[in-house]
Amino acid sequence: MQVSQEKRRNYRPLVSSKTLQKTMGRYYALTNYHRYWGKLMRRPLAWVTSGAPVELLRAFNIHSAYPEQYAAIYSARNATVNLCEVAEAAGYSQDLCSYARSNIGGVLRPDLAPLGGMPKPDLLVACNNICGTVLKWYEVLARHFDVPLLVLDTPFLTGELTTQAKEYVLEQLNAMVTDLEKITHRRLDEKKLAQQMSLSREITSLWIETRQYCRASPSPLNAPDLFINMAPIVVLRGSHEGINFYRKLRDEVKERVDLAQGAIENERIRLVWDNIAIWPQLFSFYKMFSEKGACFVTDTYSGGWAVEQAPGTPLESLAATYTEVFLNRSPKYRANQLINLIKEFKADGFVMHSNRSCKPYSLVQEVIRKEVIHETGVPGLMIEADMADPRAYAEEPVRNRVQAFLETFDDL
Amino acid sequence: MTKYFVGVDIGSLTVKVVLINDGLEILGQLKTRAGYSGKDVATRLKEQLLAESCLTPQRISATVATGYGRVTFPADREVSEITCQAKGISHLFPSSRTIIDIGGQDSKVIKLLPNGRVGDFTMNDKCAAGTGRFLEVMASALEVEWPEIGELVSSSKNPTKISSFCTVFAESEIISQVSAGALKSDILAGVCDSVASRVASMTRRTGLEKDIVFTGGVALNRGVVNALTKQLGYPLLVFQEPVITAALGAALLAREIHKSSI
Amino acid sequence: MFENNHLKDPRQSLELLLEEATLMGAKRLIRYPNRKFFGYFCSYFPEELILAAGLEPLRLLPDSENPTPVELPAYCCSLARGTLDMEVREKWSDLVGIGFTHTCDTMQCLSGIWAACGNSKTVDIVPPVMLNAPGASSYYHAELGSLLNELTALTKHEIQNEALRAALVLCANTRKLVTELDALRFNLPSPLIFSLLRAGQLMPRPEYALALENCLPLLKDMAKETHNKANVLVSSAVLENNSLFEMIEELGGRVVADDTCTGYRHYSGVTVSGSENLLLDIVQRYTNMPPCPCKNRSLNERISYLTALAKQRHAQGAIIIVRKYCEPHAWDAVTLSESFRRCGIRTLTLELEGANVGGQERTRLQAFLESLLEGPGL
Repeated sequence: MQVSQEKRRNYRPLVSSKTLQKTMGRYYALTNYHRYWGKLMRRPLAWVTSGAPVELLRAFNIHSAYPEQYAAIYSARNATVNLCEVAEAAGYSQDLCSYARSNIGGVLRPDLAPLGGMPKPDLLVACNNICGTVLKWYEVLARHFDVPLLVLDTPFLTGELTTQAKEYVLEQLNAMVTDLEKITHRRLDEKKLAQQMSLSREITSLWIETRQYCRASPSPLNAPDLFINMAPIVVLRGSHEGINFYRKLRDEVKERVDLAQGAIENERIRLVWDNIAIWPQLFSFYKMFSEKGACFVTDTYSGGWAVEQAPGTPLESLAATYTEVFLNRSPKYRANQLINLIKEFKADGFVMHSNRSCKPYSLVQEVIRKEVIHETGVPGLMIEADMADPRAYAEEPVRNRVQAFLETFDDL
Repeated sequence: MTKYFVGVDIGSLTVKVVLINDGLEILGQLKTRAGYSGKDVATRLKEQLLAESCLTPQRISATVATGYGRVTFPADREVSEITCQAKGISHLFPSSRTIIDIGGQDSKVIKLLPNGRVGDFTMNDKCAAGTGRFLEVMASALEVEWPEIGELVSSSKNPTKISSFCTVFAESEIISQVSAGALKSDILAGVCDSVASRVASMTRRTGLEKDIVFTGGVALNRGVVNALTKQLGYPLLVFQEPVITAALGAALLAREIHKSSI
Repeated sequence: MFENNHLKDPRQSLELLLEEATLMGAKRLIRYPNRKFFGYFCSYFPEELILAAGLEPLRLLPDSENPTPVELPAYCCSLARGTLDMEVREKWSDLVGIGFTHTCDTMQCLSGIWAACGNSKTVDIVPPVMLNAPGASSYYHAELGSLLNELTALTKHEIQNEALRAALVLCANTRKLVTELDALRFNLPSPLIFSLLRAGQLMPRPEYALALENCLPLLKDMAKETHNKANVLVSSAVLENNSLFEMIEELGGRVVADDTCTGYRHYSGVTVSGSENLLLDIVQRYTNMPPCPCKNRSLNERISYLTALAKQRHAQGAIIIVRKYCEPHAWDAVTLSESFRRCGIRTLTLELEGANVGGQERTRLQAFLESLLEGPGL
């Protein structure tokens, strides 16, 4: 994600960030000028949730824009409070998701939103694999814009994916194909879908490979690098530009490992991050760690896009892959995931962001924290904040906790 | 024989009592801190007001109670402070269409119909941000007395920004601003801006129609008045005694209730 | 005297129901020593299957206002915090199991948290969210099948078709009786109605149906009074006591239309019967009942249904309760109040921490009801 340039001391900048900026800049320009070329190219614009099956949309030549990602940008550019206040004045409780509130604020007052807000959608596609909030949020958008809302209902998995759940999602995907054929006046091109699936596999494997290099000590990347560099895998999954960018990033990260260059100087403490980034404090928050030699070598959030496709026909694969995302699974599953990351990346501890805006991610964290500490013996810190709304961030208490946590590694 | 009516407003911070006669004249008014038992304070205050006006309790034709303590106060009727506020303000300012009332525990925006009745209203949610209580907590964290706030704020050149929406968070935020060396006046101006922006956002829910009257204890605070005027972009009318307008409304209602019962 | 009570006296029956509503299951072991209870959350957990498994469904409600179990953050609703706290305090230790339904994100999380930190056996059902989606019915049907297997494993008793049929009949009969009760709302105090509705989620169902049937004639007799109260619709999530309704009634309001999780919505909708496969009837019932905000039958169905209900019941105002941190209800509150207002129905959105109302709420409710009621000078 593009973030206002703050001074990054004790930080090794990535050379590939130029390519990132170019790639993302092009995407935003394209998206924001959609009204000029969308009709001409017969490419409708969809607003989609971050867990929506975009491979299918891309096969229909639909251009996707991500309210969640725009909301992260609003936040990094300090626009969230104003936008949230617009939504709150319209009646939306301040306890609702800050991505949703700031997005709705931007819909009502585009003049207050960075990038001039989001371009108007032709359709909305929501998948509830990340939360139930997206359904309520997209219902509001569907009423406001009066455009079709396609929902993919991926049942929460209390254990493994059941046959009935998989069949249900598959049947909905088939229906979604029919709906998209009607909306785009095109038949589904199976070959194009297969090609999208393969491009998506490619970009995902590059992202996985890049992340794997962070097992090295010192780690070539820190959490803010991961958060900033995840933008293309979210919004340009299955695109050639995205793939080209991740090749560059992979090469650079590999080179760092070969040269034993760490993302931060003097890496002493290796940590794992759990939950969405604290966008409004992206650099100041993580700096409290990096200046003490603590590096976040991996995380569960941007790792959500580093998951290989499930086997089967394209639609079967989409059904399983999108239903099995980690946020759609039990605390037991999530705890194991974190335990494995800690072992695999040889982490000394972990930090959980208890994120007021995201209940599915956060409510289960205390139970997971206990389990992970019990299983791995490493300490875990809980910080209460919000992914986008700075009003929920209490700087002093957070600083105290972080300091105390880091002191435990020095046997103070 | 002249008839007399009393309105009693038992708020979370102060108790107000107003005495009027049949001719709608305000004959007397008293206010004091509510303390532990608002009801007892109100009873004493009413007695005092009657004594000062040389009236026996029997001469009062009707009493209406409003405010937080209204339920237990012995009155002919208890009426919510929204309805009383509407009554009082539309009597004082017949042209008013919007009332902004910031009291100790609640802030409200009331939309008035042309006949002076309540059209719609909105109030703060559970949390205290945007209320007099919020101002008070922040002022006491800065060791500033309530009456000094207005003057201090007017001297501020660079108001700081309070970003937290939670009172407890905001308190810790201003403590960090103090330790970072910010001026008291600038921090207080930031607090006033924050209260004003809360309330301004509530006006967007009901809609803003002129004339706008600002009332309640916080209307005495010039810092908030100025911040709110700036944020709304409209002039605000303020009664010289903004704390008593609900009690006045209660007294006016007492008169109407009495008239309709005979 | 409670078990298999064949009390014919309507007054005693009424008293029993009111007591049970207040007890919220607290005396279940003393009153019904031969029964086994099964706890559950949300109206979408099919009571029919619990009954067919030979268990008594007990809706779990919190017994305190602001508990803070360490497993949940402060920004979580008091229903989840309160009931989990009771698990930690071993208030549910006699339950054969606890059933969770995937409705909101909090319920979804609570199931896993409960399994990790509690001692009770947890059972999940994940109904479709998009109730009319292609494949939703067969998925729901299969989920009910899985639930049946889990309950069988829990009780170690095969669930016979006959037992299932009897449970369906009992639930259908209860819903029929409750619908008669709902029709008396205009002329009976609202707290009374809500107590009777709540009792039916807290006590053994056969006893409930019997007692309600016994006292319905008495209630119909009581329902002769006319009143000049302000007619309101109330929409809310779970409300574990009558605090709100007592205040509405005291301030001159009457709840004539009820969209609360623990009120009439729990029972509303048609009961389907006659399928060869009884589970299909259950799927039909839960798919077609008026939806809670977590479920979607079509984009505007819930909003239109409630607006039509308010009009049909001549509600002058609508009170939308949002329990602090309850997201689904907070989301719908905005659209719902717009829709009501368009129809000339005044709306008050009120945020509550728990079920209890206090001074802050009194001011809002009173002002709201004053604005609905015609009166001198008001």
